[in-house]
Amino acid sequence: MTASTHRLQHLVPATLIFALAATVTWLSFTREPADAFLFPRIISVVMIGLAAWNFARAALGLARVGTGLSTGLLIRTAPGVAVTLVYVFFVAKWLGFYAASWLACVMIYALYDPTPHSSAAWAKRILVPAGFTVIIYLLFNTLLKVQTPRGIFF
Amino acid sequence: MRKLFKALAVTALAVTASFSVAKAEGYPDRPISVMVSYGAGGATDFQARIVTMMSGNEELLGQPMVIINKPGAGGRVGWNWLATEADADGYTLGVYNIPHFIAQSIEGGVKYSADSFEPIANWGTDPAVVIVPKDSPYNTIQELIDYAKANPGKVTLSGAGLFVGHHIAALQIEKAADVKLAYIPTKGGGAAAMKAVIAGEVTGGINNLSDAYRAREAGNVKILAIADDERDKDFLPDVPTLKESGYDVDDSSVNFRGIMARKGTPPEVIEKLAKAVPEMFAHKNVAAQMKAGGSPIKIMNREEVAKMWADRQTYLAELLKDLKK
Amino acid sequence: MEFLGYFGGVFEPVAFMLLLGGTIGGLILGATPGLSPTMAVALLIPFTFQLEPTQGLILLGAAYTSTVAGGAVSAILLKIPGAPANIATALDGHEMARKGQGAKALHMSFMASGVGGVLGVLLLIFLTPLLAKWALAFGPSHLFWMAILGVTVIGSLDSRSFVKGLLSGCLGFWLSMIGYDDIQGAQRFIFHDALTGGINIIAALIGIFAIPQVIEMFAKGRVPSSISSLNVERQSLMASLRETFMYKRALAIGTVCGSIIGLIPGVGGQIAGLLAYDQSRKFSPDRDKFGTGHPEGVIAAESANNAMVGPSLVPLLTLSIPGSPTAAVLLGGLLIHGIFPGTDLFDNHPQVAWTFINSMLIGQILMVVFGIWISGWAARVSKVPTPIMAGAVLVLSLFGSYSIQQSMGDVYIMLVLGLGMYLLEKFGFSAAPLVLGLILGPIAEANFIQGSMIANAGDGLIDYFLTGTLNLFLIAMVLASMAYSFWATMIHEPRVAASRAAQTKAEAAE
Repeated sequence: MTASTHRLQHLVPATLIFALAATVTWLSFTREPADAFLFPRIISVVMIGLAAWNFARAALGLARVGTGLSTGLLIRTAPGVAVTLVYVFFVAKWLGFYAASWLACVMIYALYDPTPHSSAAWAKRILVPAGFTVIIYLLFNTLLKVQTPRGIFF
Repeated sequence: MRKLFKALAVTALAVTASFSVAKAEGYPDRPISVMVSYGAGGATDFQARIVTMMSGNEELLGQPMVIINKPGAGGRVGWNWLATEADADGYTLGVYNIPHFIAQSIEGGVKYSADSFEPIANWGTDPAVVIVPKDSPYNTIQELIDYAKANPGKVTLSGAGLFVGHHIAALQIEKAADVKLAYIPTKGGGAAAMKAVIAGEVTGGINNLSDAYRAREAGNVKILAIADDERDKDFLPDVPTLKESGYDVDDSSVNFRGIMARKGTPPEVIEKLAKAVPEMFAHKNVAAQMKAGGSPIKIMNREEVAKMWADRQTYLAELLKDLKK
Repeated sequence: MEFLGYFGGVFEPVAFMLLLGGTIGGLILGATPGLSPTMAVALLIPFTFQLEPTQGLILLGAAYTSTVAGGAVSAILLKIPGAPANIATALDGHEMARKGQGAKALHMSFMASGVGGVLGVLLLIFLTPLLAKWALAFGPSHLFWMAILGVTVIGSLDSRSFVKGLLSGCLGFWLSMIGYDDIQGAQRFIFHDALTGGINIIAALIGIFAIPQVIEMFAKGRVPSSISSLNVERQSLMASLRETFMYKRALAIGTVCGSIIGLIPGVGGQIAGLLAYDQSRKFSPDRDKFGTGHPEGVIAAESANNAMVGPSLVPLLTLSIPGSPTAAVLLGGLLIHGIFPGTDLFDNHPQVAWTFINSMLIGQILMVVFGIWISGWAARVSKVPTPIMAGAVLVLSLFGSYSIQQSMGDVYIMLVLGLGMYLLEKFGFSAAPLVLGLILGPIAEANFIQGSMIANAGDGLIDYFLTGTLNLFLIAMVLASMAYSFWATMIHEPRVAASRAAQTKAEAAE
């Protein structure tokens, strides 16, 4: 990563955090009852000061800690993160926790397993997560009696 | 492809629909979650765990009840969740604390009221008592109130939170004796409020009868008065009521605990629960454990609870309107 | 020496079986993400209904001891701290595991837990009456200063960037204020329905630590399954034992910090591990190795969180005041058998009290033995190929965060915080100060508000918060800690960096 992209990259989170700090400060000083917002006010003032300092360092190119993101990293993580988001936000409740978990594990295994797509490889990709899901079921449902949301398949 | 997808979706819907029909018939066919809106280990949680322990018996519900704790903001977090997010299928029930949740709904800022829930049954009552540390100079409630009259706002009383039974009792005492007290709500419920009294951080406190009884047995506090219509014969026969002591405070701060369901739960399910749950509370094992733990039992069925809720609703609305003046 | 007479009760067949079962079960429950010791003990309460009082307590005590230690397993192998007590263990423990020293880290964590735990219980046995007074001495003003003392650690917890460390702490503080405010009942920063209950600390922990782990595994791309996710070198028990006792300073600091903090009602074990970790770093000559997989970090953190167990029961057993949520659950376990803690317990039921305490002593030793046995399995867990591991950690995070309160809201919060933390870490922010802010925020705020209410009715704010020996002592500690942080970041570190740079330059010249 060149020095200029490094600086640009650090500016993005620094700006976002400054914006967050500004929002928090604004909310803390405008919301009622004032008594309940005493601590948020103190914290938000400290936070906005630090966020400004952090922003200045990023703008001056002094932010050295942290590697930032690279295109390669984004390409490698994107499929996994996509599966994660869909799994947690949609499928878990819709299909039921256990079926969704099995599916998510199969997907992640299939996406990140470099062995060629043979039937033996697929059998492994389906059975290993199935075994794991059974262990999870025994632990959470049978032993701990956690009631997961009812989806289509339990 | 689209056709296939449609067919799949229809099957899926049919499967879900058939499940929900089956739900009401074979109820309950899996464990029932019971939400307690206070932390694990508090009086409500501890009693809920005892009174639900026989649920798995075949002649009662045949399925165990599992306690989930959703503590926060004097119960508001848990009841908000039950009123808006819980499934109304009879597999998620909640524990109510009266007057807490009704007083909070009158105060506002929450998403529930007495109409958001269906009462099932009541298991116990826990009156509020006024306590002071064991080395406190006050030996009667009159001495404490007289001091408060001479020094308005200087007497600090700890309690479990705002608009819970303890707070209602404090408000009633202020009104009846025409004094100004400093009520200190604690984070961490009745146990934290009790600690504040024993450690002498506050002048006194308002706490649950059961906890105060234990603290007195351990020689840590003195109990000055009880905020109920009658003395407690089982645990504290020697402690006078506030009324006897000359302050017109009735039993509206008494903490009723019981089980309720979210509005919209199928009527067959409610009917089944309304029949089985009071039986479960009355089980001899439950009675034995409750007595051992120093927790008074008062079993009320669905109709009685509904009436009690309605009474408290009108009474509290008036009291809080009065007190705010 | 009264307690010696009651050791027999621990070794009765039923009691001992329960002790064994409680210990092994507790280790497994503790290693499950999302199951904190409090929840594990609460789950066991129904099992004690049918037991004799002593037997029931033995089961609960064994479970309490071993869940606290069991949390180290997931903290080290998966970087998911099972409870706030294990956060500090994850910092160096997981780095050790990544270097192939997973077995060693586990051995050391259980041995350190055992040392801290035994000493903690001995304190409970010998000094209870004295300690009870000390526990009550902490009122709202003192707890407020304790929390501020914790806050001063935030700056030094992240040695890479001072500003970013403090900013992470502020973020954590702010996150802790989301939801209903506990004392006044006001609604704050509720942008979404899932936030009405506030941010649950355990869900946050799972998200903040586990999700970045999962994404790191994705980032490795398609790795051949012959390369396992973690490499675990064989580690001989004797070598671990020898090495654990080499770090006497870390053991001592951990045990002392843990016992003192354990005593204070309302602070509990949540910060014992982190404070001990920070203190032992400050006193260590290998200060710079902390955070890179240094055994001292694991030892300090684990000895502290188990040392806390014994003293945390002092206020409960003597005054009937539960000092921590777990103690509150144990109180319930006593009450259902009609036993009221307090003077009554030791006078009228000595066999219950002492058998319980003795069983915790024996339980600590059993915990070490079985913990080491479970460490043996670590080698197998680590043979799992990376993509399976990623899926498994993700699934455990979902189940763990859901089962705390059976709420989907917690699951969403977990994932959002996790993704956010991954991005923040890429830009030099770190998780530990953020989590510390999240834990200390409510302690500082609630005690300040409560203290100021009491102060307003009495002597006024300044008198209440700034006078009294204990207040002044704590304020002095706060100032000392701040001065140290300032010295370390502004004077010491630049100098070390400069001398290191000069050295490399000189080496290059030769």
